[in-house]
Amino acid sequence: MDSVEYFEVECPEAAGKEYYRKIADIVLLDHNLIRVIRKLHIFIDPRVPLFIAVGVTKKLPGPVKVRDFADVNIQDRQVTITIGDEAYLAALLHLLWEKFGKERVDQPDRFTILLDLAPEEQAGLEDLVVMDPSVTLYKDLIYALQVIQPEGFKVRRQYYAGGKFYLVASEDTLPEDIEDLVRRKFALMGEQL
Amino acid sequence: MILEPVTYKGGLYRNDEIVDLIEDVGGYIIQKQMVATEVVIQALVPRDDIALIREVAKPLAGEITPSPLVGTEIAVVTPSLEIHHLPHASCDVAEYIRRFGAKTNMVGLARGFGKRIAQLNDEERDVINEHDLAIYLLGDFEECIRHKFPVLRRGIEVPIVVSGGPSKETLQKIIDPPVDGYVGEVGRFMHRTKESEEIDKLEEVVAEITRVVSKKREEIAKDPLSVSPARLMDIIREQVEEIHRVLSPTPITVQMTGLRVKLPYDTFSTVLKKLEIERGVTIGDLADIRPSRMRDYILLKIRPFSDTNIMI
Repeated sequence: MDSVEYFEVECPEAAGKEYYRKIADIVLLDHNLIRVIRKLHIFIDPRVPLFIAVGVTKKLPGPVKVRDFADVNIQDRQVTITIGDEAYLAALLHLLWEKFGKERVDQPDRFTILLDLAPEEQAGLEDLVVMDPSVTLYKDLIYALQVIQPEGFKVRRQYYAGGKFYLVASEDTLPEDIEDLVRRKFALMGEQL
Repeated sequence: MILEPVTYKGGLYRNDEIVDLIEDVGGYIIQKQMVATEVVIQALVPRDDIALIREVAKPLAGEITPSPLVGTEIAVVTPSLEIHHLPHASCDVAEYIRRFGAKTNMVGLARGFGKRIAQLNDEERDVINEHDLAIYLLGDFEECIRHKFPVLRRGIEVPIVVSGGPSKETLQKIIDPPVDGYVGEVGRFMHRTKESEEIDKLEEVVAEITRVVSKKREEIAKDPLSVSPARLMDIIREQVEEIHRVLSPTPITVQMTGLRVKLPYDTFSTVLKKLEIERGVTIGDLADIRPSRMRDYILLKIRPFSDTNIMI
């Protein structure tokens, strides 16, 4: 967790605090999330019981567009997309199938996609957003936090916006002033929700 | 004749000789596993003959080691089978105990998670009670263990060993009434046990289980069983043809005071009951035969000498 600017676990039980520090460390490492988290504060009170994780992510790369990983050549109706980075190929194919139908999307080899498009359909092809890392990141983050939290806490509230996230979980109904509590945890890290 | 639980490890070459020797000296083979070119035999052999077996095994490069847990069936109880409790802590402990000869069954509770909401249903309770010992693998917080353990132990009559994140002293303090064994600092963790201090912890679990099992063995010795479970296993193997068609790794599981026979209860309970052990004494005379809560297996509990007045 050296690359994380702030990482604290707060818990009334000293032994439990140490274990959860280790658990959080390993889970985030396993899910490849350490490099995207800038600050993380985990609060666990087994007496209530309540689990709160609040944090700030690092600046994320923007949405990936077709022009970022492929070349688009247009000759009359024939559009040729040459793939540079295969990582986004599957997502792009799905998008094209959805937009134009499978019968109009031809893939003669791994790195080439051929399309037969009318001129008005060709516009904006290069700016098509194929993947937004922040969307998958949000899912991955919340999933990882659910793995970290003690088992059996089925009542949850989660939030992610503007690089800040939190997850609150308990086995009982959440207290009404939960947002205030979350704000206080953010303040501990020198941040504001 | 005192039977000592041991494990024999050696090559496939001439392993029949070892098997024959164990049987000739009056020992019992509990389980024999062939893995590639290696054979692992778990057996109960007379204490005085261990040296002889060691001698015979020497030219075959075989090794005989004491395995205190051979002939026991242990329940590894975990609050749930979710990723939180599996695979790391539970699997590592269950696997490690097996190395010492125990047959372990994982019991993942349906609603064992959480603090206030933890429950143990009657089926789980009965299944755990069919074992010789239950090891509970609990979490990292003493508050949770204090709160939920009384629920998880309700109705359990077999000896219990508790492991959890807090230290052994803390566990002893918060668990009331006391259980038979405690292992601290083995709670929830999210990685495989690989480092030496983690392996030491697993050793500690085995040591604690061995201690509790030995204590139970001593208690049984005060009022010995009418017949040894291993002998009964041999008799069933010889006389019930169908047991050889069971695909489970241990068609008959030996326990400290009985057997689990993996044949359907409805068809085979009467067959087993009428099986003759020696001079007209049948299994039904010496043991209670009842349906197991695990699948449709048969559970055989041998009655003590004081109850039957017969000893064979």
